[in-house]
Amino acid sequence: MSFAGSEEPPAKKRRFFADSDDSPAKNDAAPEFLQTRSPLAVKQSQNGSNPSSANGPTNAPRPQPTSTSADTVTFADEAFEAFIGEKVDPEALSTIRSHCGNNLERAVNMYFDGTWKNFRKRPTPISNSPMFPSRPSQPQSAASNGAHVPSLPPSLSRSMPETRYIGAFGVEGWATRSGATLKYGDAVKIDRQKIQPKPSAARSKNKIDVSAAPPRMSPAEARRVDVIVRFTDAGGSEIGRLAKDAANWISSLMDQSVCNFEGSCVYAPERIRTNDTVFIQLWCFLKRSIFQGNRIQLSSNNRSTGLFEEKETSEERDLRLRQVALVRLFQEINLAPTRANAAAAKDSSQGLLSAAEMDEKKSKDASKSSNREARGSSPPSDDAEEGEELEQDQLDSLYRKAQSFDFNTPEAEPADTFAMDLRPYQKQSLHWMLAKEKDQKNEAREASMHPLWEEYSWPVKDVDDKDLPLVENQDSFYVNPYSGEMSLDFPVQEQHCLGGILADEMGLGKTIQMLSLIHSHKSEIATQKSDASINSVNGLPRLPSNSHGIVSAPKTTLVVAPMSLLAQWQSEAENASKDGTLKSIIYYGNDKIGDLQTLCCEANLSSAPDVIITSYGVVLSEFSQMTARKGSKDQHTGLFSLNFFRIILDEGHTIKNRQSKTAKACYELSAEHRWVLTGTPIVNRLEDLFSLVRFLRVEPWNNFSFWRTFITVPFESKDFMRALDVVQTVLEPLVMRRTKDMKTPDGQFLVPLPPKSVEVVDVELSEVERDVYDHIFRRARSTFSANIDKGTVMKAYTTIFAQILRLRQSCCHPILVRNKDIVADEEVAGAEADAAAGLSDDMDLQSLIEQFTATTGDEKDANAFGAHVLEQIRDEAVNECPICSEEPMIDQTVTGCWHSACKKCLLDYIKRSTDRHEVARCFNCREPLNTRGLFEVVRHDDDSSVKISLRRLGVNESSSKVVSLMNHLRALRKEHPRMKSVVFSQFTSFMSLIEPALAKANMHFVRLDGSITQKARAAVLKEFSESDKFTIFLISLRAGGVGLNLTQAKRVFMMDPWWSFAVEAQAIDRVHRMGQDDEVKVYRFITKDSVEERMLRVQDRKKFIATSLGMMSDEEKRLQKIEDIKELLS
Amino acid sequence: MTTAALPKRIIKETERLMTEPVPGISAVPHDDNLRYFDVEIHGPSGSPYEGGVFKLELFLTDDYPMVPPKIRFLTKIYHPNVDKLGRICLDVLKNNWSPALQIRTILLSIQALLGAPNPDDPLAADVAKSWKEDENKAIATAKEWTKNYATP
Repeated sequence: MSFAGSEEPPAKKRRFFADSDDSPAKNDAAPEFLQTRSPLAVKQSQNGSNPSSANGPTNAPRPQPTSTSADTVTFADEAFEAFIGEKVDPEALSTIRSHCGNNLERAVNMYFDGTWKNFRKRPTPISNSPMFPSRPSQPQSAASNGAHVPSLPPSLSRSMPETRYIGAFGVEGWATRSGATLKYGDAVKIDRQKIQPKPSAARSKNKIDVSAAPPRMSPAEARRVDVIVRFTDAGGSEIGRLAKDAANWISSLMDQSVCNFEGSCVYAPERIRTNDTVFIQLWCFLKRSIFQGNRIQLSSNNRSTGLFEEKETSEERDLRLRQVALVRLFQEINLAPTRANAAAAKDSSQGLLSAAEMDEKKSKDASKSSNREARGSSPPSDDAEEGEELEQDQLDSLYRKAQSFDFNTPEAEPADTFAMDLRPYQKQSLHWMLAKEKDQKNEAREASMHPLWEEYSWPVKDVDDKDLPLVENQDSFYVNPYSGEMSLDFPVQEQHCLGGILADEMGLGKTIQMLSLIHSHKSEIATQKSDASINSVNGLPRLPSNSHGIVSAPKTTLVVAPMSLLAQWQSEAENASKDGTLKSIIYYGNDKIGDLQTLCCEANLSSAPDVIITSYGVVLSEFSQMTARKGSKDQHTGLFSLNFFRIILDEGHTIKNRQSKTAKACYELSAEHRWVLTGTPIVNRLEDLFSLVRFLRVEPWNNFSFWRTFITVPFESKDFMRALDVVQTVLEPLVMRRTKDMKTPDGQFLVPLPPKSVEVVDVELSEVERDVYDHIFRRARSTFSANIDKGTVMKAYTTIFAQILRLRQSCCHPILVRNKDIVADEEVAGAEADAAAGLSDDMDLQSLIEQFTATTGDEKDANAFGAHVLEQIRDEAVNECPICSEEPMIDQTVTGCWHSACKKCLLDYIKRSTDRHEVARCFNCREPLNTRGLFEVVRHDDDSSVKISLRRLGVNESSSKVVSLMNHLRALRKEHPRMKSVVFSQFTSFMSLIEPALAKANMHFVRLDGSITQKARAAVLKEFSESDKFTIFLISLRAGGVGLNLTQAKRVFMMDPWWSFAVEAQAIDRVHRMGQDDEVKVYRFITKDSVEERMLRVQDRKKFIATSLGMMSDEEKRLQKIEDIKELLS
Repeated sequence: MTTAALPKRIIKETERLMTEPVPGISAVPHDDNLRYFDVEIHGPSGSPYEGGVFKLELFLTDDYPMVPPKIRFLTKIYHPNVDKLGRICLDVLKNNWSPALQIRTILLSIQALLGAPNPDDPLAADVAKSWKEDENKAIATAKEWTKNYATP
């Protein structure tokens, strides 16, 4: 029974089994030169082995690279001792000799790093594993000897040994070469070696070089993560590899230094040939290192990984692999938890494995590998997109479940300092919020096990039923099967989340409710101090006693909100508080206070602000600065230096992507109470909610693996009801949500809002516009049908969508689809040409009259005449139109002979004449007319005196849609001369085209889009709210769709439809929300016979299809998308 | 009868015809068709039609006021610019129509036409002929017709 390539019979090592506690490590560290010279030594110390602490019975051979050293010196006792520089215990020497593979360098390393002791006591592998029933237990094969004393009392050590036995299991392997011999009971080393091209010098004579010729590695496989686990004979030469299935997870355990394996042969053919199956019993030993310092390492990694935009961070991937491997391991060795969270235990194991499967499937899909074997090789998977989008109906039913608001909830009265009246439902939520925040005071918390962790007992007997060494006070260990974390200490359940999610629909006054909470619940320190400190020294500002690390800010609530809402928060905070009862500061941009820590610390309580309002951007940038300093909070005096009394994330769905840096930054903020305000806790994925829960630190749901297991996985495997049920249990204690359409038991709306009407305004394209539109339409359709024919629609999706975008833009204004620079140039050139011809398009009456004077040459008369004309035209404006009798005229227009009528009437009249091939004559004086000789009267109503000017008609006419908007606005101005309106468009370039039209009509407007700075935003909002004349607010749908409060406006004009009406509805709700006291009229401008009309149809259909959950499969959804495009281009 | 809503212009004109009637002229819309008017014009004094009350019908088409109203005499009248069917030859009812003109102005024009027949631009050729050949006789005939047909 000789091992190929080995000089030593495996029996040798068993001579030293007997005692475990002798010869403690004599050396503290390997000599410097050895460590640096030998890659092996370095590798081992990286593995976490600490020579000085290796004093217990340890059992596992390390993964030994078989061909790392270039100059192998054969082992000789004398040479070895010479190297060591001291006399070595003969037993030790013998052990080392038998394990060093005749390699002196390895022997030296083994000696110094203490690994040789691992070989000293090694239970004999026995094949009584259930996997091999054909091989009944035959303890101590021929190789075993009396040195192994089964009856030896179990040794007891005081601390966790380097490794500790956990269980054994059988695996299959296959030989990679012929000729090796392996018998039952022979020791087998398990070796993990990355495949890397190595210099051939690395070969050693008596070893087979496995790395130089990796067998059957397809290039595709090589690109993937290598999971190959080899097994070698005791001497280190490769015999074969473990079957892929087992290797998948065993490799992760080994790579991540979770445990060591050692094996023994259970069955091998007499003469092993390549590809023969070999059965091996593996003994598994958990390493001590994995019980230590796990979390610290994790959290520091957490920071650095945030800098990369990997979809699944490598850290997350490692954790996942490890977690899956651990679950598999425990399953294989049949180790069941002795204590686990009851709720989780229900279907955890199954869930965890299906979670794993899901990931594997994903990897497989991603790699598109035809190789089934490669199943688990797991390239970084697309986890950033994990979580399918929720269909609207699924979202609806989810919200319905979460909205079981009980109208009998008790109410709480806000504190006296709060200056506003709360509605009943707001008092109810105040009660709820107070209860959530004061939770800890109600119940004395006993130490209960963390719900995610499971307790396992260390086995007291090994697989051969022999006693194992025990460790004092360490009967159990703890595993978090969701994260793969392990611990020897009892994992205590952390505090309940003392906050929650206020998810009231927009307009129900979330801000006011939070402000009432700020007033009504203050920390005890803050309330005490504010009474006592007035005349004491405590009132004086001083430095915080601890200027490093986190300092408590017991008085301060931090509000994190989108930049556009900072000013609004501050003004609402002021309005909601009685004078002097609440101090708020905005922490943003140049106004940032340098040292928040000093400002807010306990010592400066009297001057500390009650509310600090900041933006997500500030949080992110301070977080980035901090991570740049490697997470050190030293010298940091900003947001992260304080433990706030309370944090409120406004528009909390901003952090819905848990991998975004902003989300990670928010997780790191610390506070007693954590709140999230959002109207849409779930935007379109269940994972959106996860990020909020993670921010709130709700155990156990803030663990992503746990979340995946119980929510994502069931959801993705179409088990919608179960997933949503779980989500509901998550949400129920955390979320307060009311909607505007909710009714109290007596049938009243929560907030009686004035009525709102939505009207679709049909816009007819002019001929020129229609030509442009048709051209683009034909192009888009031909692209689409070409792709349909080729079956590449999904690939060409972006191209097709880009064309549909052009189409939509051309419905707004043909210029939008043209190159902007050209357009601008053309306009300038045209204006110059007109100026040269003495025909300015925008001339006031005075200049017209001057022209007239020039021709008549009689100044006095001309002036008299001019004054007369001016008067006449101005007075005629209030008269009725001679043609249609409208009074006053609509768009008063003047002929060259100074006769006025409505613009439309006049143009109609002229058109009728020209259609009959007649010269149009003035309706009044029968002077010949032409359209070029007509002038629009522009009234400057701003000043007290009415001033008018004339502008040539028919020049620079805007698009039909703009004209339609202007008609509405003019009519509105006539009816309500001080009314304010909001105009939404999703194209900022279109807004730029609406602007001149507004300017021409002399309408006051302000504009808000994404490019505007915070300061300017605040100014714009202020200007709009304080303006007392007819004012129009131009807002880009994206920049202003959320958060803003525009209740001063009474009219909304939606210039272009969005894909889902929900987005438009949200924009409309900026105006139609609490605080609105007038009827709101909404006009949606839709171009007739165009893609816009069809978009409305798609919008409508989306509302109605698939009313029951899960009616549509992925395939169906894809088809649906194609159908949508078809409809758009029909 | 048209189903389209009545334009503001027609409503206003009708109201004004009611509230500020022109002496010697009346125009009343039908209850079932507000575009259809019964018109009465008193013959102008000093003309052969003095003392007569002439009935006309007036219809405003959908295109009014871009096109002139349709109007004709119902009462038989001996006039060179009105034919047997009652159709009227008047420039403002044809080429010289302007949308600024109204029912009121048109009826005034017709009344004026009664006071100043224009045989040089005839519609009823025989009447124009006799008017030119023997004006006195023609006027007598007109007076007689007025007495016979237009006297209430």
